[in-house]
Amino acid sequence: MISCAEMKVPLDRSIQQSAEDTARAIRGLLAARKILSINLISSPGSGKTTLVEKMIESFGETGRIAVVEGDIETDIDAQRIRKHGVQVCQINTRSSCHIQPAQLVRALEGMDLDAVDVLIVENVGNLVCPAEVPLGEDVRVVLLSVTEGDEKPLKYPLVFKTSDILIITKTDLLPYVAFDTEAVRRAARTVNPGIEIFEVSATRGDGLEPLLSKIEALRAEKARGKGRA
Amino acid sequence: MHELGIAGEILSVILTEAARHEAKKVTEVTVRVGVLRGIVTENLRFLFGNLAGDTIASGAPLVVEEEPVVIECGKCGESETAAMAWECPSCKCPDIAVRGGDSLSIVSVELDV
Repeated sequence: MISCAEMKVPLDRSIQQSAEDTARAIRGLLAARKILSINLISSPGSGKTTLVEKMIESFGETGRIAVVEGDIETDIDAQRIRKHGVQVCQINTRSSCHIQPAQLVRALEGMDLDAVDVLIVENVGNLVCPAEVPLGEDVRVVLLSVTEGDEKPLKYPLVFKTSDILIITKTDLLPYVAFDTEAVRRAARTVNPGIEIFEVSATRGDGLEPLLSKIEALRAEKARGKGRA
Repeated sequence: MHELGIAGEILSVILTEAARHEAKKVTEVTVRVGVLRGIVTENLRFLFGNLAGDTIASGAPLVVEEEPVVIECGKCGESETAAMAWECPSCKCPDIAVRGGDSLSIVSVELDV
């Protein structure tokens, strides 16, 4: 006699449980070394790599920066960063549109983390999927260039909701495009009242100072072991 | 197409759960998805159905509960749920805060044991 019964099992479990577990492990690994970890997210071509270069130049050798570059293909970005003399690891995600926590773990395994104070993870250019995947970062930063249009927070609210900092980039091009900076600020704050917003032109240097001061303050705070839990 | 990874994760979790209960069949799966997640429900169902293929979850319906956002108006004080909004549905002012809408979880799985 085979007995057969139906049962309903309540799970209430995140669909991303395994990714979240790995992200937590990354956070622990970096926290133990008091490394500030920054996850940079944006569309392709909004200026992530250029901004990373400016940060490296600004902090100099004392900055002890390491960079993980995420791209579907090529190591073009890693080559750019390597010229600045910092540790860099290129992840090629192939078919995946974002860096997975497990890929970041493998990248970190190849780095000398004792020589690092700030880890910058430049995610794959995409405003959708990277927003959903935690990488154990202390600070999530979303970039939006003025050439992309001011409706992006309306179209992709999740990334603006989950980021700590919004950087509006390429502000030197504002005279040539219809981009309502105030509308972007308002929309970003609607989904995320606490988001900090900076406006920069990395190529011209406008607005970099307040942003770099902010990063430096976060780095110093982390180094004292008082970073965000 | 980020639904593919999500469908794969759902299947992996429920098959593990089914094995734990020594189930013969998975008869229904319920997930909760926030409107801000940008998940296309039809895509998720299609991909889940395909991945479930030869497993004991084959043919199990995927029930998707949509989690709305809560719009809180700073002016008129109204609070209501919506798919998404950038102005208060009541007084039409833009002085609103949007909460919730970012769930992505498996609520339950029904099994034949």
